[in-house]
Amino acid sequence: MLTTRMVPALLGALMVLAALTLLIAAAGKPLGESFQIILQGATGYPRTDTFGPVDAWDAVLHDMTLLLLTGLSVAVALQAGLFNIGAAGQLLVGALAAAWAGTLSGVPERLHLPFALFVGALAGALWAFVPVWLKVRRGAHEVISTIMFNYIALYLTHWLVTEYLKDPTGDAPQTAVIAEAAKLPLLSQDFLSASWGLGIAVLAVLGLWLTLYRTVWGYETRATGANRDAAESAGAPIARRMIEAMLLSGALAGLAGAIEVCGTQYRFFEGFPGEYGFDGIAVALLAGNHPALMPVSAWLMSALRSGAYHLHAETGAPKEIAVVVQAVLILYVAAVYLRKRRMEG
Amino acid sequence: MGDIFDAQLFGTAIRQATPLILAALGGLMSERVGVVNIGLEGKILMGAFAAALGALLTGSPWVGLACAILAGLALALIHAVATQELHADHIVSGVAINLLALGLSTYLFRQIIVPREEAGGSSVVTMFGTVGLGGLAEWPVLNVLLKDQSWLTLFAVALPFVLLVLLTRTRWGLRVYAVGNDSLKARTMGVPVKRLRYLGVLWSGVFASMAGAFLVLAATGQFRENMSAGRGFIALAALIFGRWHPLGAAGAAFGFGFFEALQMRLQGQPLFGVQLPTDLLLMLPYLLTVVALMGLLGKMRPPSDLGN
Repeated sequence: MLTTRMVPALLGALMVLAALTLLIAAAGKPLGESFQIILQGATGYPRTDTFGPVDAWDAVLHDMTLLLLTGLSVAVALQAGLFNIGAAGQLLVGALAAAWAGTLSGVPERLHLPFALFVGALAGALWAFVPVWLKVRRGAHEVISTIMFNYIALYLTHWLVTEYLKDPTGDAPQTAVIAEAAKLPLLSQDFLSASWGLGIAVLAVLGLWLTLYRTVWGYETRATGANRDAAESAGAPIARRMIEAMLLSGALAGLAGAIEVCGTQYRFFEGFPGEYGFDGIAVALLAGNHPALMPVSAWLMSALRSGAYHLHAETGAPKEIAVVVQAVLILYVAAVYLRKRRMEG
Repeated sequence: MGDIFDAQLFGTAIRQATPLILAALGGLMSERVGVVNIGLEGKILMGAFAAALGALLTGSPWVGLACAILAGLALALIHAVATQELHADHIVSGVAINLLALGLSTYLFRQIIVPREEAGGSSVVTMFGTVGLGGLAEWPVLNVLLKDQSWLTLFAVALPFVLLVLLTRTRWGLRVYAVGNDSLKARTMGVPVKRLRYLGVLWSGVFASMAGAFLVLAATGQFRENMSAGRGFIALAALIFGRWHPLGAAGAAFGFGFFEALQMRLQGQPLFGVQLPTDLLLMLPYLLTVVALMGLLGKMRPPSDLGN
């Protein structure tokens, strides 16, 4: 049965298909075959990478882990009415902090992994603190300050990894490899990058779902996001809830960075992939900021990425097709679901 | 010491600042009518690509500039329709436009330009020449700042003053002020709010894409993937640091351009006997903007109807 609620979602799917068709056709690739290749890339078809044969689920599950966490990060802030564009910076800071913690000696072996993940999350939370403090105390728009903090994080982590935290045994701007005890095991021995971080991300989804929808804290936080003045009149401590939601948001992004270090890269390096923080915006918006829908939305984005990479590897079509489709999707979601409720235009 | 702060440094500073000034003033045109614009980065990038494509196909930098402006207008139109007709969130629309420009410019670059040339960057296009200043070249400050610059730089230097006069001395400027600070009241007074907002957003597309065109047609001569490299966000910082005032925004943009030039010049040399890390200099514009947001440099007062 086709309900009116489903129409926008179907239209959205149609738009994505139309954009994909247009981009593939304009690249001069055969349509049917290209869609087949994208589908293969998105659903775990074995392929050959520069490192040798790769299980495509590896790429999809790896991306999903990070996008679940950065998507949750953006979503929890948005639920409190804050737009955290700074997940990319918080991820970078969390990753560097986790890499530092992972190389420390003298940490008990059994605690090394939780310690590194905790330090990463803590660093992400701290990085989110100044923007939300500026928002609550000075009324500065959090979008502007988180953008500024993204760039400050970029240069700060670069400075630290080239000057102070560099692996002393080499010349490359990267930290030393973290201790064995601080590594997250991979999901399967055939995998190169997807680790048990996915389990942590799924736990975060469940935890946040319960917290946001089954606790007083979650209710007050969502009320703050829905209508700040009404929440305040009803007695919710809105400044506190905003600060807490933003710290949680930063911690989730920092945790994503820590998991990328402990589960996949085993070190921090110059040019560390912080863009997963940016992609979290699309994931959160597509899921309507609801943790329960985050797995679907994160899988879609990861599949799109992986599919486009696969198409690029097979046919040479530009892999930026994924970026364009993602942009179209965000615009569509913004126009259909995120309209402001106002009388005048 | 003296060999660092010479005329050449200031010349480089104004060249580095040109795209920042243009994009910051583009942002000003949009934010002054109440439309938040974090899509400057995308407009610079798309402008740069279109400029390179136009100039490569025809051999004329003027056609390149026209293509850039058209591309900037197209992106601005998306933002205007999304925010004004569909009431989309301004930030989300801006994020989408930045992504769209990154994806599309890289996609088109690989589709159209790379097959004929090498992948690193487009081949060098015909660029705008430098402009002689005639008698003005003898003037004390001008001879340092504006000697041997392209007309786009001269345009960027003049633009804030022109905008200041237009914003404070004309009917249009008063209306812009009204729309940006209380659009409801402005509408009641019969001001065509929507038309002014469209125009503001479209002008932001024109100026920001000119910044991109400058990068290709006056600075480097070629397009490279993601060559805007965060300039749109530095311009946004300059706009806020300059408190949404044309001279303030342009002044901040010049200051930030100066840091870039200084960083390029120092290349690790000590300044006043202190070894300044390159990353710290690059970070400075963003740090200063955060300090400004803290209110340490006086109260910030954005247009009160911004984002509605």
